[in-house]
Amino acid sequence: MADPILKIEGLEVAVDDKPILKGVDLEVPQGEVHALMGPNGSGKSTLAYALAGHPRYEITGGSVLFDGKDLAEMEADERAQAGLFLAMQYPVEVPGVSVMNFLRSAVNATRGEELPVREFAKLFKEKSALLQFDPSFADRYLNEGFSGGEKKRHEILQMALLEPRFAILDETDSGLDVDALRIVSEGVNAQRGPDLGVLIITHYTRILNYIQPDVVHVMFEGRIAQTGGPELAEHLEEKGYVEFGSAEAASSPR
Amino acid sequence: MAEAPSWAAEARSAATAALDDLPALTGTEEEWRFTPPTDLGMNGDAASGGAATGTVEMPAAAGRAARLTFTDGAPAPAEVAGLPDGVIVSELGEALATHEALVRDRLYSLAGFDDRPGALNAAGWDAGTFVYVPRGVEVELPIEAVLTATGDRGQVFGRTLIVVEEGARATVVDRYLSPDLDGAVNVSTVVEMFVADGGELEHVSYIGWGRGVRHQATIRAAAGKDARARSVNVTLGGDVVRVEPTMYCRGPGSDARALGLYFATGSQHFEHRVVSRHEAPQAYSNLLYKGAIQDTAHTVFFGNLVVPPGAPGTDAYQTNRNLILNEGARADTIPFLEIETAEVKCSHAGAVGRVDDEQLFYLMSRGVPELEAKHQIVYGFFQEVLDEISFDELREELEAAARAKVR
Repeated sequence: MADPILKIEGLEVAVDDKPILKGVDLEVPQGEVHALMGPNGSGKSTLAYALAGHPRYEITGGSVLFDGKDLAEMEADERAQAGLFLAMQYPVEVPGVSVMNFLRSAVNATRGEELPVREFAKLFKEKSALLQFDPSFADRYLNEGFSGGEKKRHEILQMALLEPRFAILDETDSGLDVDALRIVSEGVNAQRGPDLGVLIITHYTRILNYIQPDVVHVMFEGRIAQTGGPELAEHLEEKGYVEFGSAEAASSPR
Repeated sequence: MAEAPSWAAEARSAATAALDDLPALTGTEEEWRFTPPTDLGMNGDAASGGAATGTVEMPAAAGRAARLTFTDGAPAPAEVAGLPDGVIVSELGEALATHEALVRDRLYSLAGFDDRPGALNAAGWDAGTFVYVPRGVEVELPIEAVLTATGDRGQVFGRTLIVVEEGARATVVDRYLSPDLDGAVNVSTVVEMFVADGGELEHVSYIGWGRGVRHQATIRAAAGKDARARSVNVTLGGDVVRVEPTMYCRGPGSDARALGLYFATGSQHFEHRVVSRHEAPQAYSNLLYKGAIQDTAHTVFFGNLVVPPGAPGTDAYQTNRNLILNEGARADTIPFLEIETAEVKCSHAGAVGRVDDEQLFYLMSRGVPELEAKHQIVYGFFQEVLDEISFDELREELEAAARAKVR
């Protein structure tokens, strides 16, 4: 087993002084894809934001090591520069900032050096084709007026451009139709490999039919309640989260 | 410079007399309570000038229909790339005599010498820019005037008079530049513009002074029936800058807009006083100013929509938004209305806020460091104003200038 790219021990996180995570233990070896499932309100997105370094999500106990480094000591930009990526559930609109300018500064910041314009243009063209974006997309303002599918595809485009070492996909499947889900999943699968760890956060099992996880964790009430192989996702699809005390289903309503 | 005609000499004497007669500004006057008038040399306070610590990079004259340059207010020969028949771009002092019929009734008619800033300029200016676009003629490329301060003179003047006749169309840029100066220079400028019925004028004033420059700028535009007058003001440079644009809707159906952006850093102090006056019914005006304030800088926005009796059907808007980038930076916003006509649509809004936390986190989570992320958000915030500049190359230049400010 490879060394863990992410090692979480006894993690406690509070939002506006309210404890949400109450001792999370989770380890992802580099190169593996893990799914984090659980009913609404179990703390999945809180974990995602806390890992990415959102200032509202305060680590009050435990530890997170990213590639051996203490994440709690790092600002959000430093975490990204170290190779951590969060595909957000609700990507933020930033009026007036063009996709092109944004992506260039993000690529330059994470690489730590200025990529020549021509090379960036080539990279952008290649990756945006993979995510099925029209080139005119570059001139639009960040997430402004994007459809739900465009927002999610744009998140995965960023992942493709920034080449992180660890990516958290926070409910990337929510609000996607089948075609968009397929494009997004193919975008993730194309990046899969020994140098990328992935944590897929999802309520439903649907996305896991497209991106096969190596390990599945279930979060309930701020802790990891169960860990298993891909069969755990199938089990949840049938039984939902009832055995953890929740009435919610884990499969999409049909 | 040609011998000034007698009417111009008389106006000069009257302005000089007004300067003597008008009481000194104390800073306790309501309209002067934010910017000390002495900081701008309003009472004839001499400034020492100073040594330049660098040179001004002159913008390329390419892509301009004509360009005039003034070093410390003194004119250089005009560079003209090609102007349609009948269009005049001339030094204003010369035009007093050579284009007397076009200049005489208009000069000082929008910005006279009944207040100290006006009297100071009218009494002191030597050279300026005169642009005349005859009826129905369109000037495609912008006409530009560049006023620079070198520090050799403590007081610098500039004056611009623009006349756009019926159905004519032009873009005129007044650009103000200097290197950083060890010392102080006071600058006084006035722009008067007249847009006749159905005409269109876009005026861009770009204030890119270096350190040591203090500038009082008066901008006045009159729009005739169905005319479009637009004032875009970009304030980035100078220690103390006060810009006072007033848009006069003089004909029914006129459309007057005053757009501005400012980015104050260090200990800069900028004040913008932006007014629209509806002197005719069924006119539209829109004032939109956006600013960002960093370090210990301070900005003031005062806006006013004036609708006297007899202007029904007025449609007037006013918005000022400010982004404070750190504690210690300050912005004041005072949106004002003077409505004396019923049946008008008017709105005003002023806001001062911080950079949105979620936007900041989004950019930072992609590796962009905090300050750069804030600046990106600021440039995005300015874009609403910049997007209104119709000439692409000019818009791109101004975008680049705003971005270069904090590099």
